[in-house]
Amino acid sequence: MNASIMVIVVLLPMFAGVLIPLIPYKNRVQMEIYIESIVLLNSLLVFVMLFNKPQEACVLLRFTGNLSLSFQLDGLGTVFAAIVAALWPLATLYSFEYMKHEGHEKYFFMFYVITYGVTLGIALSEDIVTMYCFYEVLSLVTLPLIMHTLSREAILASRSYLYYSLGGAAFAFIGMIFILTYGTTADFTPGGVLDISRLGDKKNILLFVYVLCFCGFSVKAAMFPFSSWLPKAGVAPTPVTALLHAVAVVKAGAFTTMRVTYYSFGTEFLRGTWAQNVVMVLVIITIVYGCSRALKETHIKRRLAWSTVSNLSYILFGVVLMTPLGLMGALAHMIFHAVMKICSFFCAGSIMYKTGKHYIHELDGLGRKMPKIFVIFTISGLALMGVPGLCGFVSKWYLAKAAVNSGTVLGFVGVAALLVSALLTAIYMMTISVRAFFPGKDFDYSKLDGIKDPNWMMILPLVLFVIAMFYFGLHSEPVIHALESIAAQIQ
Amino acid sequence: MLYGLILLPVFLPEIAVIILLVSSFCEHLGGEKKKTNLFIKIGAAVKRSGLADSDKIREKNKKKELKRRTQKEGPKENYAGKDQPVMLPSVQRVGRQVSEKSRAIAGKVQVKAKNQLQSQILRTEEERLGIHIFTGIVLIVSALLALIAAWTGDKSVTLFYLMKDIPVYFHIDAIGSLFVTIVTIVWVLAGIYAFVYMEHEGEEKRFFGFYLVVYAVLVALDFSGNLVTMYLFYELMTLTSMPLVLHNGSREAIMAALKYLFYSMCGAYLGLFGIFFLSQYCDTLNFTAGGSLNLALVGEHQTVLLIAVFAMLIGFGAKAGMFPLHAWLPAAHPVAPSPASAVLSGIIVKSGVLAIIRVVYYMVGADFLRGTWVQTAWMTLTLLTVFMGSMLAYREKVLKKRLAYSTVSQISYILFGLSVLSPTAFTGALLHTVCHAFIKTALFLTAGIFMFQCNKTRVDELSGIGKQMPKTLWCYTIVSLGLIGIPPMSGFISKWYLAEGALEAGAGVFGWLGPVILLISAFLTAGYLLPITMKGFFPGKEADGAGIIKKEPSCAMLIPLIIFAALTILLGIFPGPLADYASRIAAAVM
Repeated sequence: MNASIMVIVVLLPMFAGVLIPLIPYKNRVQMEIYIESIVLLNSLLVFVMLFNKPQEACVLLRFTGNLSLSFQLDGLGTVFAAIVAALWPLATLYSFEYMKHEGHEKYFFMFYVITYGVTLGIALSEDIVTMYCFYEVLSLVTLPLIMHTLSREAILASRSYLYYSLGGAAFAFIGMIFILTYGTTADFTPGGVLDISRLGDKKNILLFVYVLCFCGFSVKAAMFPFSSWLPKAGVAPTPVTALLHAVAVVKAGAFTTMRVTYYSFGTEFLRGTWAQNVVMVLVIITIVYGCSRALKETHIKRRLAWSTVSNLSYILFGVVLMTPLGLMGALAHMIFHAVMKICSFFCAGSIMYKTGKHYIHELDGLGRKMPKIFVIFTISGLALMGVPGLCGFVSKWYLAKAAVNSGTVLGFVGVAALLVSALLTAIYMMTISVRAFFPGKDFDYSKLDGIKDPNWMMILPLVLFVIAMFYFGLHSEPVIHALESIAAQIQ
Repeated sequence: MLYGLILLPVFLPEIAVIILLVSSFCEHLGGEKKKTNLFIKIGAAVKRSGLADSDKIREKNKKKELKRRTQKEGPKENYAGKDQPVMLPSVQRVGRQVSEKSRAIAGKVQVKAKNQLQSQILRTEEERLGIHIFTGIVLIVSALLALIAAWTGDKSVTLFYLMKDIPVYFHIDAIGSLFVTIVTIVWVLAGIYAFVYMEHEGEEKRFFGFYLVVYAVLVALDFSGNLVTMYLFYELMTLTSMPLVLHNGSREAIMAALKYLFYSMCGAYLGLFGIFFLSQYCDTLNFTAGGSLNLALVGEHQTVLLIAVFAMLIGFGAKAGMFPLHAWLPAAHPVAPSPASAVLSGIIVKSGVLAIIRVVYYMVGADFLRGTWVQTAWMTLTLLTVFMGSMLAYREKVLKKRLAYSTVSQISYILFGLSVLSPTAFTGALLHTVCHAFIKTALFLTAGIFMFQCNKTRVDELSGIGKQMPKTLWCYTIVSLGLIGIPPMSGFISKWYLAEGALEAGAGVFGWLGPVILLISAFLTAGYLLPITMKGFFPGKEADGAGIIKKEPSCAMLIPLIIFAALTILLGIFPGPLADYASRIAAAVM
């Protein structure tokens, strides 16, 4: 297949997105049709591309020397692109209904669609320079989405997001320079590109740079000292928190750390060093810290956001194990967490949309009034807890197996952290469900009159997510097989 | 085709449950609009055919219910006739006329409302009957299927692959069959009891729905052939049994249910922690008598593995009420409806026992643990729990809580038998599993009868109860003697094996300490169970002997109790076949 299709799928949403506020629509439906068809078309193109892989790279433009914007599709990119392309149309469908009460829809959808292209850009980057560029652009285009409501809280949140992201990118930039200096090439190569002979006695400096670079990229994945922006960003409209802050943006953070660890620095160079231990400790702390904060939080979306913090660190934990099995577990959790978390966020969004309630103690008895939403929410909670038969268990299984297999003490501690976090997840998810379904004996249901399940535009994506959770949970073999072959390229 | 038989008892209740839950769901959505549903039809049909003609009690109940409801709504209708302020005579006359008129109207309304109520009650009656018949048929058919599957030889079936190399795999072996048989007997009998008992708890569709689904999950759990399948059903058991705990929906019940959920989850995750390690160090995750640990794979990680196994013991011990994670039991068992607390205490805690047996004797192997710090710690914990449970039960005044603490203590008898790692003690543990299942179920059913008939929950209210319901208290006494371990009741024989096993195993201090603590605990057991009998039959002089009304419960509640009492005596007099069976299992795993 012609390699230029990669440029098309990245640029199409950007241009089409810019056009959204410019086109004079007769009514809302026209706009919805236009947006949905753009997104669907692009997803279609992505899947066509994924099934007929373009072999060669495609250079969009050259800056100078060997610095260029170029695309190449490999295994890792396939996974990320597939997640993004599968979820974007569904999330868009959901947001049509949700955004009715938020206003400024045209601008919202403009940035929403542009982000799609930028995220694909990260997935398809051939080298660290391209990835860095799209990473920066991603921070900028998602900024307006966070401050969408223009309330004081939203502006503060977007400011903190900006500072964190730009700061992280600066650290990542240092890593990029070192890779360009000491690597044989800037392109991503399974097993890393560092030229060990050129390193000399600078090994420790390079390890330090790796830690910086890892922290820099994992700012977007909300790793421990840098995680506070994510719950704050929960003020954004739900489609943004669900798709961007549970999937696209934060997974882009995890994805970039995979790239630098496995494809730039190389695990052979890093495995067993102090650098690995440092990042692993940070990741393990985040796993438990995120869950504990989620437990303390009473705002439903912020609780889910803290849960995301913890779950993203599951992925990072797989990454820093620095074994093929670990990478496979990380990829599996990247896919499965995307489905589970977007589902629970959409449920939370539907509750807020239908009832205007934002806090968990207000949810008493809603289970009877919005049964579909709460049943789905409970299922996604069970999946997050890692109940076997749902997809969360599968990725947790492979992550833990990889950790035990690595045979290091920190690996074992990590397994314990995973399970502590699973228990905390059980507590913070199940209390919501129990509250909603069993409000107590003398609960007065008449207070909740008039509340009911939302319409099909909101329910349809949720049902598809539930089907996916069960499918991956009960029949994970094809996915795992594919991920195994991707991870096998790395030694 | 024959292999598929294993799965039938698992799937049949599931289908039934879907019908039950969907219909209760529809009810919530449809409100009062829907006049007939499947269950009403079934109930009405059965009534017409004259099969269910023990109508006397129901008739009585109906009248009672009718009275209650009309009383509740009556004053509202009569409002116009009362509370007239003092007025001038003329006004009073007019007022009286008006009030008479309104009274007449109110009377008409009342008659109409009464008719409506009557038809509504009739409908609920029919619906209840329908639910009971439906549940009963499903329960009995799947129980028969489960028993047939259990006692027609070893079979195995792979359902599908949950993950690569990890199938959902069922295998029927000796110990699985034993557990399934216990579960089935208790479930059917407690189910029959529940048909009457649940009348005053309401929400029967939900109750029987989850009651059936937990049965299916338990059968699947007992038949599981590998560790991951077992874990899957272990988690499902927790999740599906939780609604039984919070059934009455009170604040206390909900908190207890959450406590139950979180303790169980904590336990399950500790178990999962171990499973990750075992999947790494064992040749196969399928249960193999004697264990499938590969010491070559373990290598230098022996300490890690021991920690992992210890975590599993604590974790699965949570369900079995072992010391650090026992606190959910006294909270969750008393708030559940009595049939539910009976099966929770009699059966579901046993799943923790089964899980521990599977881990220790079928995965790790007794030899690996013998003499390690894990064994010592485990024995210490179990003995501590035995003593602590009895003490707490002794000073508890609420009957169901007392019984829950008693379960804490008694299950640790079983776990102590397992921790000794000797064949005799293992046999004793299995025997005690069987005995305790029947006895504790019977005790909780008795407590339920006291609540249902006399509304009495505290021990000190039960004085003189033996005069009111002698049969019930006799059954209670027989099973209590069994639990204490007085021959010829069944508890004696199991405790004999436990003590003998501990003595012969040569486990150092524990060899004599174990039997001593078991003995002390037996005294305490007598101390907390028998006073009810004594006070019940001999309330003392001050009790008024004249106004005694017989309050013996209906047959459906009494017969399960009598069967359990009979089983207790039977197992005590003829323990041979069961003991042989248990010792054969013991010989196979050690």
